[in-house]
Amino acid sequence: MGSRQITEKSLSMLRSLPRITLANIRDNPGSKITQKRGRGQHGGDKHGAGNKGSGQRQNYMRLGYETGNNPFYLRIPHENYYRGHHLKREYPPMTLLELQKLIDRNRVDISKPIDIASLIKSGLYTLNPDQKHFGVNLTDDGADIFAAKINIEVQWASEQVIAAIEKNGGVITTAYYDPHSLFILKNPQRFFETGQAIPRRMIPPPDAIEFYTSAATRGYLADPEKISQERLKLSQKYGYTLPNLESDPQYDMLTDRKDPRQIFFGLQPGWVINLKDECILKPKDEELLQFYSM
Amino acid sequence: MTLATLRLNFIRGLIKNATCTALLQRPLGYKSSISLETLYPNSSLKLTTPAFKPDGNEKFSGFIPIQKLDISYSASSGPGGQNVNKVHTKVDLRFKLSDADWIHPDIRQRMLELYDKKLTKEGYLIIKSDCTRSQQLNLADCMRKLRNMIRDAEVTKREPSPETQERIRQRQLKAARLRVAIKREDSLKRSLKQPPTVVDL
Repeated sequence: MGSRQITEKSLSMLRSLPRITLANIRDNPGSKITQKRGRGQHGGDKHGAGNKGSGQRQNYMRLGYETGNNPFYLRIPHENYYRGHHLKREYPPMTLLELQKLIDRNRVDISKPIDIASLIKSGLYTLNPDQKHFGVNLTDDGADIFAAKINIEVQWASEQVIAAIEKNGGVITTAYYDPHSLFILKNPQRFFETGQAIPRRMIPPPDAIEFYTSAATRGYLADPEKISQERLKLSQKYGYTLPNLESDPQYDMLTDRKDPRQIFFGLQPGWVINLKDECILKPKDEELLQFYSM
Repeated sequence: MTLATLRLNFIRGLIKNATCTALLQRPLGYKSSISLETLYPNSSLKLTTPAFKPDGNEKFSGFIPIQKLDISYSASSGPGGQNVNKVHTKVDLRFKLSDADWIHPDIRQRMLELYDKKLTKEGYLIIKSDCTRSQQLNLADCMRKLRNMIRDAEVTKREPSPETQERIRQRQLKAARLRVAIKREDSLKRSLKQPPTVVDL
């Protein structure tokens, strides 16, 4: 029988058969085993409970008891400082000095926007998303000698770092990547070889939303007009003249940003990248298009 | 370049006006439902370098033109070995107070009075900072000090804040209430010491 006939037969059966109730359904044969007390030579005698001791007398030792010595679950005391440690996000640091060294030795291309993928690709920064690493934290060590004009996207940056980058005419943005997106960014080739569609990047968790929507921290969800005002404020605080971005010939590169749902530059969620045939497969179904554009 | 931007704007206008966006498939870069355009519809979404707009009411709005200041760096003093000798973290910020046209003349006059003894022979006001290990932070410290100096010179008469004034008024009312209560008590005591008025019925 073809599949169409099977479905038609099933549907016709459904139409004619009575309503399903508890009275006319039963378990699959072999799914339930009824525990019956064993009888006879093999099942009887001690009935699987052994000889004497707590096992035969149903007077078992409590779970975790280690016959007198200090049990494992009591050895480690309560230390409230580690409460919630498994939920805390980590941002392995990278100093501005390291970044300057990378740029000087041409290990990262500054003619294009720099993101976490470029930093990992340089080979001098490692990230392990499975160990609660949520991205790169750019630290201020080397802020005094930093002298590169870049468009960089990090996951965490302090005010000093933002000032150091903007002083040199660059642009810094803080953006959130969920662990799945970070795995993909860490090794894009491996992901493309699986043949899966590029997923959407998720929005930040509730305790991080404020950071990523505020202009003072250059969040990727903040209003660029407010960010422009904050740039001026920071230049006044740290005592430098704000370089004119609009007159810069690299203005388009410096202000180039990913969409909040995008993982890769130039690639959309929903696309399947075929490395072997060097082509991109894009979805056509209306439902899929709507899902990936949400 | 300009032709491309014109086409870009035209297509963007088309997308905004089109009723069925699925047909157009968003040709200009991916735009999700949480893109900046949907989050901030009234914003230009452009990163600019805004010029400072001074507030008409205030004499000093907090803005300091950095190019009019003379900033130099030198090595800091104190312990630190080779690092403190080599790294120029001390910040020296100076400007000629009488020539500072970016300060309001009233404030400038007041500052000349206040820091008359502290100016150099040429009339330069010097602000130095080497409190931190970072040149960037020391410069921020100098800026803070300069801003505070100008703000202190701006203040001519010091009036207590409305909260303080309210507190003082409440204190005065309470003192009055206490005074009257004591007076009433004393009056009662005195009247009890007097012999009672005898009324011949």
